[in-house]
Amino acid sequence: MVFYGRTCRMSFDEEFATMSIKLPDGKAMRDSQIFSAGLNNVVTTEREFDELVAKSLPELLDRATGQTKRFLRETNQWGDDITHEKMALRWGYELVERFVVFGRTEVPCRPFFLLDSLIAKSFSQPDPLCYHKELLTPVGRFLDGLASRAVVSRDALIALFYHFYGFSQAHVVKLLGFGQAESQRVYKNFERWRQSGWQRTMNETGLSVSEIEVLEQELRTRPDHLNHEVDRLMPILQSHYRKSEPEHYPCLSEQKWGQLFHDDYGHDYRVWHLAFCRNCFLEVADRRQAEVSSGLKPQVNLQIHPLKKGGVLALFGGDRGGRHHGNTRAQRLSRTSA
Amino acid sequence: METPELNDYRAHLLDALDDQPRRAAEERPGFFQILVNHEGVGTLNCAQTDPSFAFTARERSIQHLEIRSESGVLIGGCVAPEAGQKSLRIPIGKGSVTIHVQNHFDGGSLRVRYEAAPGWWAHLAATVGLSSRPAAPAVGRTPVWTMTTAFAQIVLAVGVVSLLAERIPHWMGSDDRAHQLEEELAARHSAQEQIDRVHQQLAQLVEAQATAVAVSRSEQERIAQLNALVDTVAQTQQKLNTQVVTVQEDLKTVKTDVAQEVQTGMRVAVSAVEADRELVRQDLQSIKSVNETLIKQVALLESRNRELHARLALTSLEVAKANASAPKATVLAKNDAAKDVAIPTTVADGHREADRQAFMFWVAFEDGTTEKSIEDLVQELNGIKKGPMKSGWYSVEVNLPKPEPPDRFLESVKRAKIVKSVVTSKAMPPAQ
Repeated sequence: MVFYGRTCRMSFDEEFATMSIKLPDGKAMRDSQIFSAGLNNVVTTEREFDELVAKSLPELLDRATGQTKRFLRETNQWGDDITHEKMALRWGYELVERFVVFGRTEVPCRPFFLLDSLIAKSFSQPDPLCYHKELLTPVGRFLDGLASRAVVSRDALIALFYHFYGFSQAHVVKLLGFGQAESQRVYKNFERWRQSGWQRTMNETGLSVSEIEVLEQELRTRPDHLNHEVDRLMPILQSHYRKSEPEHYPCLSEQKWGQLFHDDYGHDYRVWHLAFCRNCFLEVADRRQAEVSSGLKPQVNLQIHPLKKGGVLALFGGDRGGRHHGNTRAQRLSRTSA
Repeated sequence: METPELNDYRAHLLDALDDQPRRAAEERPGFFQILVNHEGVGTLNCAQTDPSFAFTARERSIQHLEIRSESGVLIGGCVAPEAGQKSLRIPIGKGSVTIHVQNHFDGGSLRVRYEAAPGWWAHLAATVGLSSRPAAPAVGRTPVWTMTTAFAQIVLAVGVVSLLAERIPHWMGSDDRAHQLEEELAARHSAQEQIDRVHQQLAQLVEAQATAVAVSRSEQERIAQLNALVDTVAQTQQKLNTQVVTVQEDLKTVKTDVAQEVQTGMRVAVSAVEADRELVRQDLQSIKSVNETLIKQVALLESRNRELHARLALTSLEVAKANASAPKATVLAKNDAAKDVAIPTTVADGHREADRQAFMFWVAFEDGTTEKSIEDLVQELNGIKKGPMKSGWYSVEVNLPKPEPPDRFLESVKRAKIVKSVVTSKAMPPAQ
């Protein structure tokens, strides 16, 4: 394992016990020891907590990563390769991020103990990680990163329609039966996704530039093969991340979908559920084929990068999800759109 | 393993962690995503008049609460205990979010409320003294300089407002105004959508409540049935306990009775055996005494019998002598002897029969002896001929009194005139 450019390999216990002192120079090591002692001591104020955490982020990340590795090993999900290392780092990062935010509300506390309890609580829940061996490939990690982000980011959620099916804003708005206001609301921050959200997601997922380039190359040379792979992996992803949907968002029958569109309600439901449920998405797409301008049955059409140009002009007219807006001129849908 | 790549990744994550507080602080209050236990449960629109959100979890308690912006930045949250309540206030931007979590082991409820920070006008109004609240009655006389200062502040405020009214249209382009209109329209539509969603959730809630009431009733009925069943079981158990106690007492009584009966029986049997043994002992003693008496009598009788035998032998000898001298005298002697002997013979009659012994011998007669003579002799001897004559020998059986020896008897037989020879061989007749 590597810490600050220094390569060493050790057992898990050694790794966990000494992870905070494997630093490249003596000064850093001494500082780390000081911080370790501080993290084991009681922190009494929020300010003290913030200062100590800001200085001890490497140790906290290593500790959370080590706990994640232990969980993966104990559940026979560990492989000694860079992909698993990255996965452990990614989950360690998410755990520390929560710790940084939640911990302020728990003072006075001992930071290390609080982090351990937070980690234990997270891993004690059923199926905490979306671990599947086939999701460890570059394309699997790409899809996993997108879906994982879409659970917490509405920007990423609406972007799934583009990355999975190649649907632009106009297509999505028509397919989901959104009116002008809904379209504006949903896509108002899409530029943010294009500018920083996608890149942040890739960075946090651990996909390097070279891996993304490889994916793009494969998409150019063998698009059918890659789309077939995406088509195969989507059910695995969606079955895991759909549990992030609200409880009252189950799959609906064709009749109920029709009623929902006709009565023009449940807009969040449409975005949430159809982004994460391919079967319902295809069913709705079949039903609303006339609304979608392409008129073709939607298929998996992987897109690596976000849509280059935001603020797509969408024409609205006639029946849009059962509500008439009576305005057929082009609309600028997002303040941040280019 | 590509260690530089992993190293870069780790460094990038550390940068992101370091940057997280800044990103959270930069988020403008708008739509907040509420995630409970990492599952999205709804949104909080801070633009509403009453920006609050409520959620009830049915199966699991609310352990993790995350408040994220629309772009997914984690801007607040907490960890709640599995049971109990937790209330806290988190600053978000210039405002704050009040969170109240009430957990029990199979569910929980959450209430989130956003409170915006008071705007610049509120501060200004507070500074100037234009409060919406009724002013307290002035006590005493107000100084002139205070009134002057207040007037100057009002004039200043009016000037500032007029300047702003002049400048704002230049600052805000037509696009922005259009955009504001769009935002208002969007907000109106979103409010309509919220209302629709609330209606939908309300309908679901009513349905769930009806279901819960029905379930509650059925559970109450079931509990009543269970109570009745428990009562029945309790009564049955009491009866069973009573029966068990009764049976135990009966068993104790039976055991005591049986033991007493056995002891009594044993005592009776022992006493009976003892009595029998005593009787047997007495019988044995009496038998012993009788036996001794009998032995004495037998000994006495034997001694008298011996005496009588001796007297008989003496008498027989005398009779023989007398027969040799005179037949009359013999007859007389016989009679006398018979008289003399009659008394002891009668006395010892019972014993004589017992003392006789069968004696067989073989006799040969002189040639020319008639059968009549032979028969007479046999009668005289009180004997019986056994079988026909074989080779001149007759087998004769007589009963001899025990004390008389057979040799003497055979000598007396040999003396008869018709007797040629006498033998006692029983196996084979003597050879001729």
